[in-house]
Amino acid sequence: MSSIRQAVAALALAALAAAGAGAQDAKKYEVKAPVKIQWWHALEAQYAPLVDKVVADFEKANPNIDVEAVYQGAYKDLNEKLIAAQAAGTTLPGLTVANTPLVAEYGASGLCEVLDPYIKATGFDVKDFGPGLTASTSYGGKQVSLPFLISTQIMFYNKDMADAEKIKLPETWAQMDEFMKKASKKAADGSAQRYATVIPGWDQWYFEPFYLNAGVSLVNKDMETTDLGGAKAVAVARKLKQWCDEKSAYWAYGKDASSVMRQNFIDGKTFSVIHTTSLYNMYADTCKFKVGMHYLPGDAKRDSEVGGSVLLIPAKNSQEVKNAAWKLLTYLTSKEVNMYWARGTGYMPTRESVTKTAEGQAFLKEKPAFKAVFDNIGHIYPRIQHPAYSAFAKIWMQEMAKVIIEGGDMEAAMKKAAVLLDEALQD
Amino acid sequence: MSENAAGKRGARARAARYRSRERAKDFLCVAPALAFFLAFVYYPVVELFRIGFTNWNLIKDKYDYVGFKNWKWLFQGSGCEKLLASLRITFTYTFWEILITLAGGILLAALFNRESRAFSAMRSVLFMPRYIAISTSAIVFMWILNDQYGILNYVLKLFGAAPLAWLNSEKTALASVLVLTGWRVVGYGMMIYLSAMKGISPEYYEAAKIDGAGPFQRFRYITLPLLSPTTLFLFVTTFIASMKVFQSVDVMTGGGPYQSTNVTVFWIYELAFVDFRVDRAAVVSCLFFVILLASTAATMRISSKNVHYES
Repeated sequence: MSSIRQAVAALALAALAAAGAGAQDAKKYEVKAPVKIQWWHALEAQYAPLVDKVVADFEKANPNIDVEAVYQGAYKDLNEKLIAAQAAGTTLPGLTVANTPLVAEYGASGLCEVLDPYIKATGFDVKDFGPGLTASTSYGGKQVSLPFLISTQIMFYNKDMADAEKIKLPETWAQMDEFMKKASKKAADGSAQRYATVIPGWDQWYFEPFYLNAGVSLVNKDMETTDLGGAKAVAVARKLKQWCDEKSAYWAYGKDASSVMRQNFIDGKTFSVIHTTSLYNMYADTCKFKVGMHYLPGDAKRDSEVGGSVLLIPAKNSQEVKNAAWKLLTYLTSKEVNMYWARGTGYMPTRESVTKTAEGQAFLKEKPAFKAVFDNIGHIYPRIQHPAYSAFAKIWMQEMAKVIIEGGDMEAAMKKAAVLLDEALQD
Repeated sequence: MSENAAGKRGARARAARYRSRERAKDFLCVAPALAFFLAFVYYPVVELFRIGFTNWNLIKDKYDYVGFKNWKWLFQGSGCEKLLASLRITFTYTFWEILITLAGGILLAALFNRESRAFSAMRSVLFMPRYIAISTSAIVFMWILNDQYGILNYVLKLFGAAPLAWLNSEKTALASVLVLTGWRVVGYGMMIYLSAMKGISPEYYEAAKIDGAGPFQRFRYITLPLLSPTTLFLFVTTFIASMKVFQSVDVMTGGGPYQSTNVTVFWIYELAFVDFRVDRAAVVSCLFFVILLASTAATMRISSKNVHYES
């Protein structure tokens, strides 16, 4: 009996000690004195009222922390400024957003503060983001950022047109041929009157799922080679070219390709476009017809990838700034604020406690088109994480566009590209 | 005698002290500018050479010295082909920009060398594009040249011509960027030439008229030779500026399509900020710096023999 009592007492002591240590750790990350931090973001002027309100609410709840939200341009501009500040080591923001593909390079280079001790000490519920988003914001098994404005690839389509012409949206890659025929219209001279869809060739992220779902390994386990020169990849690429050659689709490429593609959709010159869910509000507000969202068709599997931005704390900041930034980070990624972003923009709710609950259903009532995303939320996976992926993607996009737009043998082009891509990965 | 010699020595010493004081004063006067140049121009250049021998990516705090690895990549590795391609594009662009500035500028200057309010207004209109931000005008030109919604293709269609993918075809992309460049620079060339023309003494023309020289001969044998210092100035400044072209390419084509407008400075930018290879960007920058320096020196040397100064 006494040994049981002893064991219980020891356990209680251990539990108390652990709780004490946790509380002590949490104290380490508290903001003890007034501090001013900058938050760099890429939310354009249209979102300024949202940003201002969120910052004001945060400052009200945390009077010790003064937040200066700074719009730093598009993700590309923000990346340049962040790298320059990191190199200088003096003008870093307390907290910054970053485009999802940059997590790997930033994580590998030690730019980001590792958030695991903060998460552990403050009991932050990171699991609520789900495994896909947690992995997307980690590097080398460490949590180096948290999901902020998250999107995925989607097919926006003209719902009125689909209903009127009874166009069935493709669920599988095999159904794509039929869809291309049914949804496109051609003039007597063979020119396109209406495209079935537009494939964005200016960013490989948009056509990547077609390859991944066909079972193509874009970056092999050795991290130095790709299967893009293989038979499966060539078959996917040939199909994409075939649809473009037949004028059922077109390959959107070039600096203004995104805006032209949007305009074509708005003008009814294409039945659908493949784009990011973050633009739902823009399409829904601008189009004079009902806009639907359709999850991209699958093949061997039916997955899509995470897009959008994450939030991270530059590691070079002082602990005082990092503590304030952590407070802001937890606030910006909290359930309430996340829903606020999701309603005000086209980005997705990121937390499972929203997507899998009545709150999620309420959100779907507001934006029913998001059902396509909610139904497949378990199939949204992290982007490929490789420090050389930007260089890799550039070569791939260029080779695809050249053969599809200018013409040529797809197999030869893909094999040639694979050599260059292997070189980029090994570099 | 010795007193005299001592007096001379003393005078020399005083003169030397005076000269050194004056030199110190001179140096103090230029010191702020020199310090600025050392800190913001020469030090970064030296740093660039040093970074070229490392494997730094701008983000990491620690890096290693890798010897000539980056230089080998540039001259023997995959960088060589890209370097040659980007230099070819850059020199092509520069050739056309210089041609537009010089030929267009001199022709317009000859045409608009009149004194009236109407001509003054027209000169202002031609010169104005120079002071519109490149990024702003590049966006406007993107819409003019847009293959689906652009006004240029709309006009072409009205005349029954086939529309072209101006910015999205490797055959026309560089020429399209040069259209914007031409629109921006030709007025500037005209103004510089006009001010030089106004400085040519009318006596030369009067003498030539008396000798029976026609307008073309006067232009060929008086105006052109006396404009040669201005031509040299425009040639050198346009050469240096156009070799460093970046913004119009960044906004209008992003180096594409298929790298057909991938000018050297844009390539350097992509190496540093997209590929995170600032080490490679540094070696390309160093080489480009040497190319620019050598080309400018050669131009000055060759041109100096053919430049005529009125005095």
